[in-house]
Amino acid sequence: MKQFLFLLFILTQLSLTAQTTISGKVTDNKGLPIGGANVYLDGTYDGTATIDNGTFTFTTEETGEQTLIVSFISFETYHLTDLVKNLKNITIKLKEDVNTLDAVIVNAGSFKAGENAKVTALKPLDIVTTAGAMGDFIGALQTLPGTSNVAEDGRLFVRGGDAEETQIFVDGMRVFSPYSPTANNIPTRGRLSPFLFKGITFSTGGYSAEYGQALSSVLLLNSIDEPEEERTDISLMTVGAGIGNTQKWKKNSLSINASYINLKPYQELYPDNNEWHKPVQSFGGEAVYRHKINNNGLLKLYGAFSTVNFDVTQEDINIQEGIRFGMKNRNLYFNTSYKDFFKNDWSIQTGLSYANDYSDLDIIDNTVQDTENAAHLKLKLSKFYNSRFRLNFGAEYFITNFNEDYTALNEDTYNYTFNNNITASFAEANIFFSKKLAANIGLRGEYSSLLNEFTASPRASIAYKSGANSQVSLAYGQFYQNPRNEYLKFNTNFSAENTSHLIANYQYVKNKQIFRAEAYYKDYNNLVKYNTEQPLPTANYSNNGAGFAKGLDLFWRDNKTIKNTEYWVSYSYLDTERDYKNYPTKATPSFASQHNASVVIKHFISNLKSQVGLSYNFASGRNYTDPNKNGFLNSKAKNYNAVNANWAYLISQQKILYFSVSNVFGTQNINGYQFKNQSNSNGVFESRTIRPAADRFFFVGFFWTISDNKKDNQLDNL
Amino acid sequence: MHNQPKVMIFEKAINNNIKFNKMKKLALLVAFVCVASVTAQTQYEKGMTKAFELWKNKKNIEAVQIFERISTAEKENWLPPYYAATVEIISAFGVKDEAVLTAKLNKAKTFLDAADKLSENNPEILMSYALLNTAYIAFDGQKYGMTLSGKNVAIYNKALALAPNNPRVILSKAEWDMGAAKFFGQPLEPFCKDVKKAVELFKKEEQTIKFYPYSGLDRAEKIMKNCEKKSSQN
Repeated sequence: MKQFLFLLFILTQLSLTAQTTISGKVTDNKGLPIGGANVYLDGTYDGTATIDNGTFTFTTEETGEQTLIVSFISFETYHLTDLVKNLKNITIKLKEDVNTLDAVIVNAGSFKAGENAKVTALKPLDIVTTAGAMGDFIGALQTLPGTSNVAEDGRLFVRGGDAEETQIFVDGMRVFSPYSPTANNIPTRGRLSPFLFKGITFSTGGYSAEYGQALSSVLLLNSIDEPEEERTDISLMTVGAGIGNTQKWKKNSLSINASYINLKPYQELYPDNNEWHKPVQSFGGEAVYRHKINNNGLLKLYGAFSTVNFDVTQEDINIQEGIRFGMKNRNLYFNTSYKDFFKNDWSIQTGLSYANDYSDLDIIDNTVQDTENAAHLKLKLSKFYNSRFRLNFGAEYFITNFNEDYTALNEDTYNYTFNNNITASFAEANIFFSKKLAANIGLRGEYSSLLNEFTASPRASIAYKSGANSQVSLAYGQFYQNPRNEYLKFNTNFSAENTSHLIANYQYVKNKQIFRAEAYYKDYNNLVKYNTEQPLPTANYSNNGAGFAKGLDLFWRDNKTIKNTEYWVSYSYLDTERDYKNYPTKATPSFASQHNASVVIKHFISNLKSQVGLSYNFASGRNYTDPNKNGFLNSKAKNYNAVNANWAYLISQQKILYFSVSNVFGTQNINGYQFKNQSNSNGVFESRTIRPAADRFFFVGFFWTISDNKKDNQLDNL
Repeated sequence: MHNQPKVMIFEKAINNNIKFNKMKKLALLVAFVCVASVTAQTQYEKGMTKAFELWKNKKNIEAVQIFERISTAEKENWLPPYYAATVEIISAFGVKDEAVLTAKLNKAKTFLDAADKLSENNPEILMSYALLNTAYIAFDGQKYGMTLSGKNVAIYNKALALAPNNPRVILSKAEWDMGAAKFFGQPLEPFCKDVKKAVELFKKEEQTIKFYPYSGLDRAEKIMKNCEKKSSQN
């Protein structure tokens, strides 16, 4: 026994002092050697770098179980725990890091801007400094391909889809009335102020199973997690004034801002073609409170209140004195979201959004009072198995309660009301097969209690990196959306409207240059039809409508070729027809133009401390029905052209003077035509050209930021 | 044979003398810790010296690798990951390929986050965070300027509040402010004063911690010379 122990001891002692040689070879997944990789034992000084043929050799005095680490830039760090004596002549295959800029991106259908975007079609500043966009982020998005310019509306029309087919989400939660109400023929603006957001994803089709109730498009906005500093912003504009303030504490921050817009002085200087009894007057206030919980948790409470009112008489060919339209709107919106990360790579995102929208409309001698209460509740869980596999799943609930009180000229009153509640759940897997091949596969199920209907929407997209700078992607998906409120208030015997998207995308990205081409086909089914001139309680409703949209979107952005200059060019070709609403036959709707193009240029002039911007928008003529001819939507209006310019001058770090003119050359654009209900004595229906309220719009603003840091300014708010 | 007593210890241990066993373990532990700390000290110094030498000879990758290895051996010391990050960040300036740039800076950020965990609110680490953001801004100001310059200003303010007399913080902030002042054609004098203050503080600084990033005096003096040139021209 003694002898044995002695021997054992000697052996142990020997192995304690003896050096072990660790050796092997490091390759990539194809077996090609990786030279210059860092190879070492965790917690020790023992290690080396591989030589060009991928091999390594080093000695260690460590014994027993040790962890060998191999790290190399753009590859996942490799860990191997084994007995030291086994670490000989080993072959280590490093996996490529799929989280790098040159890895494939599943991006068919979508444009990203802001933080965390690998390929940015729009930069954060672009959202607000695009000429003609007038500080409205919706306006900037309209310079991207896939959108149609509908000058009299201002909302997003995507790939042959109606504006109602696009939904907007803030931090994953739905925004119920994202646009400010306006009178007919006057473009609207987004209600949300752009400077609240750090990132925007604009999907023109084929989006994730996480999002539903949108037939064509989703716009996803991510709000700022933590403001950089305390500051006060003051803005004075030709159309109003605004003030904002941000305060920070240890784990909390609060931002509030208020704005007042009154178009009266402007309209007195530059009268437009409407007769304003009360020009647009709006007041808006927003507050965001953010609270950090532990290290990773973040709670955000966002609240916004706005009122808009105006009273206007607009020309009408059938009513000599014109149509008087008065609007009082009040909108209250809350958005609460919470996100946190747990052990074992689980994360949670949950939220609640609530909107209360009240409109009091006076149309000639009728009064309409609409109240909409809507809420969205959502819970999403994500499990990050590894950098190559991630699973997201969740459930959500939409509540809409709509009430309308209609008082006609003869004092008769009518009431329309409905509850539109939808339960939905979704699951989606993000899979990286390699740095070159990735896919997202998801499924969404929705149950509408109002329609008593269940729908299942499969979604899939796949992307393959075809070259060092290029990639191709494909996407397919089914999308459902309940019919809009203006039909549901009269009839609820519907199915959900449906589209399927098929998208093929090619992208080439090289050193500050992006080229993108995307072809798509959309098939519309179950569209709502009715048989009256307007949706009325007496109409016959059905889901017998159908249609299609197909087209090609091209995008080119270059930030390199011309010094201090960035520009992008978009072109969209659209071929669409649909039979919906009260269409007698399949036709190209009046909001769709076959060709849309935009050119946006930004140039920085250092000597003048100025950024000048120019943009040009083109849209081919849109359809209208000329009753003097046979057929429906049988004529085309003339093309739309506008050149816009802006100039931001930095007086000092914290003071900016901003000028902007839309449609510099005053091109006389035509939004459409209105025809008399009755033909005249010659049997001709007389017409009136519907022109924009004003050809040009001027804007001058002075923006002043007060903060400890004297370099901040509001350039990003413009 | 001098091994004999040790064998006896083994025998006794096997005989389940628990008390003794505990004592032995303690003794072994003490001995191990002593030995480890003594040898680690020298290995640490050797390693760091070698890494600095490589860095000086522009062998950045090799230098980062040694700092990385030291950081896994010295799990409580913020300096090795700090240097691994800082060398990586400095070598990212001038990189033309955005994929390479972000790969390098992501790697640097991992090191910097590790250093920050070991030493929270450390002004030197904060300066490297600011430098990391500056590398992005230098690559593409339009894309990264808006979000990151605000972050940098916040970092400078925080660092200045934490260490109002740290010459590197004062110098870095002054350089940043000068960049903006030049752009707006504003006088540089107030910032030259800061640089002058930094030079004085650099000279007064007591260098007590080995391998601490005390450097910066040369740069400060160079900038001050430029300041003096400008003011004599006026």
